[in-house]
Formats: sequence, C-alpha cells, structure tokens
Amino acid sequence: MMTPAIDTTTLTRRFGDFTAVDNVNLRVDAGQFFGFLGPNGAGKSTTIKMLTGLLAPTSGSIRILGEDFEVRSAEIKRQIGVVPEGMALFGRLTAGEYLQFVGRMYGLDRVTTLNRTRELLEFMQLADEQKKLITDFSHGMQKKLAMAAAVIHGPKVLFLDEPFEGVDAVAAGTLKAMLQRMIARGATIFLTSHVLEIVERLCTHIAIIHRGRLVAQGALDELRAGARRTGQAGIEAGAAPPEAEKRSLEQIFLEIVGTDREGNPGAVTPEQELSWLS
Amino acid sequence: MVELTGSQSLPDSMSPIPASTQLLAVAWLRWRIFVNSTFRRQPKNKRQIAGLVFAILLRIVVWPILALMMVGPIVGSGFLAWLAISEGRPQGLAGLLLGIALLWQFVSINGLSIAASIHSFDPASLVRFPLRFGRYFVLRSLLGLLTASTIVGSLALLAAALGIGIADASLALPALVAMAVYALMNIYLTRMIGAWMDRWLANRRFREIFRMIMALSFAAIQFMNLQRAPMRAHGARSGLFLSAMHSSGPYVYWLPPGFAAQAILLAKHPLAAFGQFAALLASTALFAAVFAIRLKKQFLGEYLSEGVSRRVSQQAAPRVRMPALEAAAQSAPAAAGAVFSSTVAACLRKDWIVLRSNGTQLIGMMTPLLLVAIFSMNRAFSSSFSGYFLPAAIAYTLLGVLGPLYNVFGADGRGAQLYLLAPIRMRDVVVAKNLMSLAMVVAESGVAWIIICVFSRARIPVSAQVSTALWTVFVVALNLAIGNLRSIQAPRYFVPGQSRQPRGGTPTNRTSGLLVLGVLFGSMLLQIPVAMASSYFELPWLGAWVFLPFAAAAVFAYAFVLRNVEHLILEHRDVFAEELCKA
Repeated sequence: MMTPAIDTTTLTRRFGDFTAVDNVNLRVDAGQFFGFLGPNGAGKSTTIKMLTGLLAPTSGSIRILGEDFEVRSAEIKRQIGVVPEGMALFGRLTAGEYLQFVGRMYGLDRVTTLNRTRELLEFMQLADEQKKLITDFSHGMQKKLAMAAAVIHGPKVLFLDEPFEGVDAVAAGTLKAMLQRMIARGATIFLTSHVLEIVERLCTHIAIIHRGRLVAQGALDELRAGARRTGQAGIEAGAAPPEAEKRSLEQIFLEIVGTDREGNPGAVTPEQELSWLS
Repeated sequence: MVELTGSQSLPDSMSPIPASTQLLAVAWLRWRIFVNSTFRRQPKNKRQIAGLVFAILLRIVVWPILALMMVGPIVGSGFLAWLAISEGRPQGLAGLLLGIALLWQFVSINGLSIAASIHSFDPASLVRFPLRFGRYFVLRSLLGLLTASTIVGSLALLAAALGIGIADASLALPALVAMAVYALMNIYLTRMIGAWMDRWLANRRFREIFRMIMALSFAAIQFMNLQRAPMRAHGARSGLFLSAMHSSGPYVYWLPPGFAAQAILLAKHPLAAFGQFAALLASTALFAAVFAIRLKKQFLGEYLSEGVSRRVSQQAAPRVRMPALEAAAQSAPAAAGAVFSSTVAACLRKDWIVLRSNGTQLIGMMTPLLLVAIFSMNRAFSSSFSGYFLPAAIAYTLLGVLGPLYNVFGADGRGAQLYLLAPIRMRDVVVAKNLMSLAMVVAESGVAWIIICVFSRARIPVSAQVSTALWTVFVVALNLAIGNLRSIQAPRYFVPGQSRQPRGGTPTNRTSGLLVLGVLFGSMLLQIPVAMASSYFELPWLGAWVFLPFAAAAVFAYAFVLRNVEHLILEHRDVFAEELCKA
C-alpha cells in the first residue's frame, strides 16, 4: 500500500471554547492535486497551519510523507513548500534577496540558490523588479514571489492557501502551468481556494470542510457522479442519479455547505432579502 | 518561458543542513534588512526629502545624548567596583552587580533598544523553515543582542571588571570570567522575561491588569518617596539610594549578583570560588531553560493572539444580532445624533465604541491623576511650588492625552478608506475625532483640576486659575491644529491597547512625538517668566492677559487648519493609501 503524502488522524484544534477543526481524518495520496474547500471560517487555514507546523494541534496526529510531524518536523519542513495565507514575506528585502535567503535556509548551496533565484524571477516575471523592495510590490507580485519561495527547494508536497487571490489572469496562467508541471513530476499539491472553477479544473481530489468538520472527501469524479449526501456526517458512494453527472463543483459545494447547523438549507428567505437594493 | 530546473530534482537525501548555512543566512537577512532600510528607500518628493533630512538631524542630536546617558552608568560601575575593592568594602560589589542587573532589565523593559529604532523582523517567523529547535534557540539568543540594555549592561560589567583589576591585579582574570557569565545570565534573564511577558501580554485582560499594577506601583513609589523624604536635597536621596544598595548586600549573596561577586572575591580560595561560580552558572542555565520552555511552545506552533478565537466565536454566533446592534447604538453618546450632523454623530459613536473597549487607555489616563492626587496631598510639595503647581500638574496630565491628537486616523487602519470613499466632508470626520479627543482632554485636566483644588492645602487664586485655563486652551488648540496636520501628513497604523504594534515602534510617528513634547514644554517655558513677572510686579492678572491672545491665536490656527482639511486630505491621499489602507 502506497504511503500517503498527507495523513491526519482525528486532527483537532480548539481556540478556547471554540473548535476550529474537529476530528479531521484526511488522506492525500502522493501525486494528487488535492483541493481543500470550505466556506469562510470553516477551518481551512487552521488545517493548513497545522499541516505545515505553524500551529500545534490540540489533539490528533499528522503524518507527512509517512513521517510524524511531531517527531521529525525539521526533516518534513525540508520536503514541503508553503504559500501561507499572509504570505509571510520580509518586506525590507528585494525579491532576489528573499529567494536567496529562503534557498540557503532550505540548505541549497550558493550556486544552486543563485541559479534558481534567477530562473524563478524570470519565470514569475519579476526579473525587472529586482531593485524594488518587497514592501513596494503589489499584492499579485507578492503572491508570485511567495509561490517562488515555496518551490525554490523543490518540495515534494506543496501547500497553497488561496494562491490565486489577487493574481492577474496572466500570472494565474503561469502559476497553474507550473503547478501542473510539478504534479506531472510526482509532487503532491494541497490547495485551498474560493475560486471553484480553478479547483475544478486543476484538482483531481477534493475535501470539503464545514464548521471544522470534514463533510466530504474523495475523487472529484466520485463527488460529481452524485455521491449521496448524508447530512453533516460525510459523503457516501451510492447510485448516481443521471442528472447529477452534470453537476458542477459549485453546485456540489453549495449543496453540502449551504446549510445551517441543523442541516437545513441556508438559502436567504424572502423576508431577509435586501428589498431596498435596486 | 524559462524551464524550472529547480522543481525537476526533488531532494531525496535527508542529509542535515549545516548549522553554519542557516545561521549565516539569518545573519545575512538581518544585514540586508538593515542596509535596505537605511540606504535603499529613495525619497520620492520634497516632503519625503525634508522628512529624511529632519530624521538625520534628529539622530545627530539624539544619539550623542543617548551615548552620554550610557557613559554615566558605565564609568560609574567601573569607579564603584574600584572603590569597593581598594577601600576594603568588597560587600558593596554584590550591591553594585544587583544595580547593574536592575538597570539592564529596566532599560530592556522600557524598550530603549537601538534595534527597535530600525526596521527588523519577527524572529518567531523563522519557525516555518526547516530548523531544529537547538538552532532556533541559538538564533533567538543571538538576534536582538544589539540593544541598549545589552550594550550598556555589558560595558558596565566590563568597566566593573577593569575597576576590580586596577584595584587588585590578582582579581582581574576571575573578575573578567565571572562578569562574562554574569552578562550571559542577564541576557537570558532579559530574554526569559521578554518571552513570558509576550505570552501574557497577548491577553487583553492581562494587559489591563499589568498596566494597572504598573500604574499603582509608580504611584506607590512616588507616595513613599514623598512620605520618607518630602523635600530633601538631591544628595540626601542619593545617600538613601546608596545605603539601600549597600544594605541589600547580605540578601543579594543568595542571588546571582552575590554568586558573581563571591566568585571574584573568593578567588584566593579556589574551592569556595568554584562553588559560587557553579551557582552563577546554574542560575544562568535556569533562566536559559525557562526561556527555552517558552520558545519550544512557540516552535511547536503556539497561538498567542486572541484574534482567531474571538473572530470565530463571532462567526459561530447567530448571523445578525439586531438587539446587540441596537444596544451598541444606544450606549453611544445619545445626544450626539441630536446636536451634530449625521457624519459627526456616526464617527463619534464609532470612536466611543473603540474607546470603551480600550481598557488600557482608560487605565493610562488614571495614572497621572493618581500622581497629581499624591503630590497635591503633600503639603510641603504643593506649597513649595504654589505658583507653578496648578499649570505644571495640568501640563503633566495633558502629556498623556495630547499624543493621540497627532495620529487621529491611526486606529482606523484600512477603515480610513471609507472616509475617502463615502460622500462626506472630511472636516466632519476630523471634527468628530477632535471632539472625542477634546472630551478626553477636558475630562483628564478637569478631574486633575478638581483634585488639586480639593486636596491642595495652598489656596490657588482665581487669577492663577484663569491664567492656567487660558494657557490650557492655548496648548490644546495649538496641539489640535498641529495634530490635525500631522494626522493627515504622517499617519501611522496602530492597534489601540496592544503592546506590540503591527509594524513595530510606537502608535505615533516619532517626529510627531517630539512635536508634542516641543509644544508642551515650549508653552510651559512661557509660563515661568509670566508667573515670575506676575509675582515680581504684583500683577495677579498678568498671566490671563498674556495668555488670552495666545489662546485666541491658537483657536484661530485650529479653525484655519480645519477649514483647509479637505484640501490637505486630497493632497495627501497617497500617504493615506500607503500608511493606513495598506496596513
């Protein structure tokens, strides 16, 4: 049996009385392009932070590439790349300086770091901005730089928290091409995004988190094929009704998360409509 | 498109990354941040050039003063250590080392660090890199060593070692070794306190309690000071301080300063000296270990902020809580809507809600009042300065509330965009903010005034009160005028009541901070000759007549700035976008 790239067991994170991530059992096989979806505040970023070692779980375990994160965090961090929610760049460096620093922190030798820095800056169309400090970059440029920093050491697993947010269409195309190339070479990508069209186009497997709980997980085709929804507990494979085959990821997503706490549809009622809007 | 050769070869080997590679990378990072912050940012317009020139001139003036302030404790430590050994009073050495440790911690806690004056980075952000905990600990121990506390403390200890060596050459080597370890102990003690304070101060309730304790401590010290030596000469107080240091010797022997002192003084008895030295090493290791415990938690992914838990709690709550919204609106100054325009009333309500939740600021406003009460109750003090006591006390209470006038949009952050986008007059927004500030100024100085009148044993004549009132109007109106200008020209994003600000530094621009002091002390200097002339020529109403035109001019200046607010804001939209909206 193949070792999963990401494997969590009853992963839980509480902030005071609030449970942000609740008993999540996640399995992502190596080489998968995995989409991790959920509405705002569902627990996506908290999960990514735990998977990348930035946040300690309250309980449960995390294994990345078969290794326990708690035991071998430094080794695991060498094998993963992260584009975090806040990008975490050092604003007072130039793009080239930042990539060189990151390369050296990941143990790349000086020549390799310099070569990859040059290549990545050109690839991300940042080569002309070498004299600018990162703090003066636009949001999209910072996102591209964060992506370049996440891949400079050639990670086996890449975690991307909203990588396309604020990125122009040209840059998004460049990023998507790069991600697909990495997948073709055997890397695993764990992606969160609110742009469901992009997720649908790129990802082969999907998990949906809602109010901290994993409510769906599987291959995109399985979900699309009309898996039968079983309330908040999860998705079970079942006989697919014919019309369900045409359902988009957005429809599936809304069907699963567009509910209130009791599982009732959460659509806006006529009384709640903003009637004063033209 | 360039081929990504980097992503072709995923590293399979797990050979460890050399420590030197990572440590040098962080050193290089720190160096580049320093170089880029100092030399890289080119001023884009005349205003920025002027700002840069002013900042350089300020440093030329301030840094030598700071350096001179450092020289005192360093030379003093060397001299006192020499005195203790050469005059046969070695027990004073432990007291001296305790004093140096207290100075070290005091300077450190007050954040007078050179590193803080230049752009830096949060060393906690290094946890995302593949570092082992040992390396992270070393990095966290090394980063931030270039602080005033470490420089002054280390040089004071070096001077003390030299002083001991000059007094008795045979003690020179033990003194150098013991002082080096003692310096390390102080470094870890500072780090330990800083790391744990960071942990506790992340909690709003603790911040408020801490601020309250600090305020009460200052008040208690002043109270005891006045009770013990109401109006003694400076020399007498110094004597009291020195005798306290001296008498602390026997107790200090059970603490690290005592271990260090004994390790030096018992150098001729190697076994006993070794025992003391071992105790010093053990205390250093203890502080390092407690610091490491905190760092380990951070390294494993600790979450300190209250932000997420609060935010998610709100999300978990019912979507729209109308009663809560209504309650919030009702608790705001109710009269605001009736008296002012809707913009002014809305801004007042918003700022009132922000102020109400900022317990730290409210506690901060109480501290000067407590001290004014203590000084007012002291008959010797208040009667000695009867002519100046009221204006001086009012100036002191104003000091804390005038600063925020220079950055009225700072707490709004990105929210300031709304002022630019909404179909409102910026003048209304500024008026609302000024009214809120004015309410605080009036409350603070009004309560201080009442305290002085009630508690002060000396009767304050009406003429002096009128003179002080007009002077207060002058100072407040002038600060409002300059403050509005600075708020528009040099805003700075900050989070109210938070000890660690998003971009480091202080909630107010440094130049603005100096301007507050300049205006306040400058106007205080006006008071002195006027009060003296009033007394000399027996013209009790002289102050009132002098400050009346000043107050009128300041009010006129304020009105003039207010009239031009729209134009000023338009002219400085770029600063708003950069400093506040990008925050």
